[in-house]
Amino acid sequence: MKVLKTIGLAALGATMLAGAAAAQEYTIGVSNTVQGNGWREEMICAIKAQALASGKVKALNIAHRNTDAAGQLEDLRNLISAKVDAIVVNPADPAGIQAALAEATAAGITVVAVDQAVTEPSAYIISNNQEEYGYLGAKWLFETIGGKGNIVYMRGAAGASADSDRDKGFKRALAEFPDVKVAQEVFTGWQQDQGKQQILDYIATGVPFDGIWTSGIDNVIVDALVESQATLVPVVGADNAGFVGQLNSVEGLKGAAVTNPGSIGGAGVTLAVQILDGKKPAEQTVLVQPEIWENVTDAGKEKLKGAADPSLSPEWPVSISIPDWTTYTKDQIVACKGPGE
Amino acid sequence: MMRILRQQGWIAGLLVLFVLLFIAARVIQPSYGAGDFGSLVSAVLPFAFAVAAQTVVVIAGGIDLSVAAMMAVTSVTAAALMAGASEEFALLVVPFVLLMGFALGALNGILIVVTRVPDIVVTLATLFMLQGAALLILPAPGGGSADWLRSLIFGTVPLPVLPAAVTAWFPKALLLLVVLLCIVWIPLKRSRLGLSIYAIGSNELAAFRSGVPVARTKILAYAIGGLFGAMGGLSLTMSTGIGAPIPGPYLMASVAAVVLGGVVLGGGKGGLLGPIIAVFVLRLARTVLTLLAIDPNVTAIVEGTILVAVVMFGAFIAMRSRQS
Repeated sequence: MKVLKTIGLAALGATMLAGAAAAQEYTIGVSNTVQGNGWREEMICAIKAQALASGKVKALNIAHRNTDAAGQLEDLRNLISAKVDAIVVNPADPAGIQAALAEATAAGITVVAVDQAVTEPSAYIISNNQEEYGYLGAKWLFETIGGKGNIVYMRGAAGASADSDRDKGFKRALAEFPDVKVAQEVFTGWQQDQGKQQILDYIATGVPFDGIWTSGIDNVIVDALVESQATLVPVVGADNAGFVGQLNSVEGLKGAAVTNPGSIGGAGVTLAVQILDGKKPAEQTVLVQPEIWENVTDAGKEKLKGAADPSLSPEWPVSISIPDWTTYTKDQIVACKGPGE
Repeated sequence: MMRILRQQGWIAGLLVLFVLLFIAARVIQPSYGAGDFGSLVSAVLPFAFAVAAQTVVVIAGGIDLSVAAMMAVTSVTAAALMAGASEEFALLVVPFVLLMGFALGALNGILIVVTRVPDIVVTLATLFMLQGAALLILPAPGGGSADWLRSLIFGTVPLPVLPAAVTAWFPKALLLLVVLLCIVWIPLKRSRLGLSIYAIGSNELAAFRSGVPVARTKILAYAIGGLFGAMGGLSLTMSTGIGAPIPGPYLMASVAAVVLGGVVLGGGKGGLLGPIIAVFVLRLARTVLTLLAIDPNVTAIVEGTILVAVVMFGAFIAMRSRQS
């Protein structure tokens, strides 16, 4: 009898252990609304790689297409129907998707917004500080041209919240330099071909300018300056592999790369898994601060040299990992394979 | 008689497809039920109005490329006007925005009739104009929406006689959609104007010789398209609570659903019910693909394939029935 009881208890313990092990297996839904952009593709690959590296994610369910806030509401509700355990979302709009995020929380799903903030108070946010991104690069540019001159201001997508946040930072820096003028303001839509055409059009007008601030459509701008043999004015861009390479190699180019890691997606998975494991962060919002790498001082050059990675696609940010937040290897993110793939 | 039968046959086919997809969703996710159907209707809402707008114009023998931009401009106008305003003020905003859609649609029609430039060129030009106007009204997503307006599409219709298990299947958004479409479409279809729209769509010259006022009919067809576009814009503001100046993916989707719904792109043939069911089919197809967790890059290919396959199958059936 006693033996039977022991066996029974052992069996019970074993099933409970198995149950606990099974509970470690999460399904994570992903919603993203910009497709075919290097930064966003890196974000998706970081999500896949981190899900695989964490060992706790059974499967990913990725809704990844070009759409608006209403389309994202649809994707989020489909993910709720699919009964995922957590949703990692890069919001099309901070306020526009609130209804679906509240529904997700009500359905017991953990919501983590990456890259941009959301207004839904129950959601966790892990994001790059976009306003600081705009400020750091603009301030460096205005200082580098000697505090006065004409700037070409090449923004991202009109209406995107990351773009308006960066604009706030840019305007803050502009207010500190009263002699700096914005000669031309355009929206590249974060499209390489469009940005290049816009700068070529502007060069063709013959109006001189002293510097270019870009919202990450950077390497093609340097290409355009070199190809049209225009004056190599200082250029600010993001830490995209192609641009970082140019800062190291193009003769006479002064420039700075502001970091904006697409690997924030991986950090979002880490945060989601931590919350599912019962380890809630102290703050609802975690901000990752950008850094600036310029090729004027020796210290900056050193950082650029260390960061350069010609093996990456030129439109991918070189900051492919975030310390403390991502655990995958470079091979894993480049392979871009999630669990079960 | 044969034509009506074929028309109804097409709609019946679409309904069968919808039911099959619904069963597929249930099989993949056994808990897929009333609440998820409500989500589906919310997703359908803006697409349905875009499709209604496109349907009227296509039946009249035209095409409206500005439909998504029309939705964006009406949505941001509504959101900008309602931001920080009182709940009562929204009672004025809604008719104003609907009127604005009607007027902008009429402008499309007038430009086409007066300049004799092809529809596709004129509406392409207005697409850019409306897109720019939307950005002037709201440079970034923002604005607001009255709570009563938003509450029109959240939740289910309370029907006191029926048990909750049944009313759960009647989302408010569905009621709103049906009511708005019927208010415009049924009187239109039965009126002289409706007949004229079909007439100019099937043969403009013959319609003209039969005494149909072609220019006025065309302008009104575009105006009604604009009205549906404004309803779509309002539905965007209602579901998101904001206005977004960048047009969403409604243009291509509207053309796809019009074709899938059995409306002939050349004009003169088809109804509104088919394209609306087609929207439900296309949205549910997306849900099923999400439930299956298919690679997102493959999803778009599958959606396109469904569209082509269904239309080809329909054309094949139509050809067979004509031969027999």
